[in-house]
Amino acid sequence: MNSKIKQIADSSLDKIASLEKRLSGVLKPIKPRKEFVHGVAHRIQTGPQAAFVDWIANWHLVAILIAGIFSLIVFLAVVGRVLQSLTRKRRIA
Amino acid sequence: MVPEPEELELLLRASQGDLDAFGVLYEKYVERIFNYVYYRTGNVHDAEDLSARVFYRALHHIHTYTDRGVPFSAWLYRIAHNLVANWHRDRSRHQEIPLSDAPTIHYKGEPPEVAVMQTQERDALLRLIRQLPSERQHLLILKFLEHMSNAEIGETMGRSEGAVKSLYHRTLLALRIEMMESDLDNASLQSQIGQVD
Repeated sequence: MNSKIKQIADSSLDKIASLEKRLSGVLKPIKPRKEFVHGVAHRIQTGPQAAFVDWIANWHLVAILIAGIFSLIVFLAVVGRVLQSLTRKRRIA
Repeated sequence: MVPEPEELELLLRASQGDLDAFGVLYEKYVERIFNYVYYRTGNVHDAEDLSARVFYRALHHIHTYTDRGVPFSAWLYRIAHNLVANWHRDRSRHQEIPLSDAPTIHYKGEPPEVAVMQTQERDALLRLIRQLPSERQHLLILKFLEHMSNAEIGETMGRSEGAVKSLYHRTLLALRIEMMESDLDNASLQSQIGQVD
C-alpha cells in the first residue's frame, strides 16, 4: 500500500517537473516593437503631456466629467427657465 | 533584489523630476513590463497600451516610490498588476481578441505540422494560464519569465517566501488538473486513472 502511495507521489512529482518544463517552454520573453518602445520613450521625455495621456486614458474619469458638465448645463437651463417664468408672472400680476 | 547604486542614483534623480534619469529606468524595465502585461492580457495591442500606462503612472508617482521600501521593479510590477486587473474588469464590455494575435514563436528545425501542433498546444496552455486567478498568473510569469526566486516574488507580491512556495505548488497542481480536464494532458490523465484503479 505504502509503495503504491509512494509510486503515485513520485509520478506526481515527475508530472510537476514535466509541467514546469512545459511552462518554461511556453512562457518565453517577447521583444516589444521598436516603434512602441521609442514612442513611449519620446512621450516620457515630454513630461507633463505623458501624465495627461495617462489621465485621458482613464475613460471612466472623462465620462464622469462630461456627464457632470452636461448635468450642470441642464440644471442651470432649468433653473434659468423657472426664474424667467416667475418674473414674467410677477410682471403680469 | 537590492537596487544597484546606479539605480538608486537614477531613482533619486527621477524623483526630483529628471526625465532623462527616468528614461534610463524605462529602457531598463520596458521589456520586462511589456512581457508581463502581454502574458496577462494575451494580445500585443493591449500589452503596448497598458505597458505605456504603467510607465506614465510610474513617472507621475515616482516621488512616492522612495517611501515604500520595495525594489523599483516590484513597484512597477504592482502598478502593472493593478492596471491589468482594471483591464480585466472592463473587458466584459470588450470583445476578446484571440491568442492568434500573439507573435509567432518559431520552432527551429521542426517540420511544419509539428510546429503547428506545438503552436496550438502553446496557445491552449496559455489560455489555461490566463484562466487562473490573477495572483497565480502573476506568480507563474515572475517565476518562468523573470526567473525570480520565491523571496523576490514575495517582495513583489507582498507575501512571505513560504507563502509564495505554497501558492506556487498549489498553482501547478491546479494547472495540471485544468490540463487534464481540457485534454491537454490526456495521456497523464489516463495513466493516473490506471493507477487509481
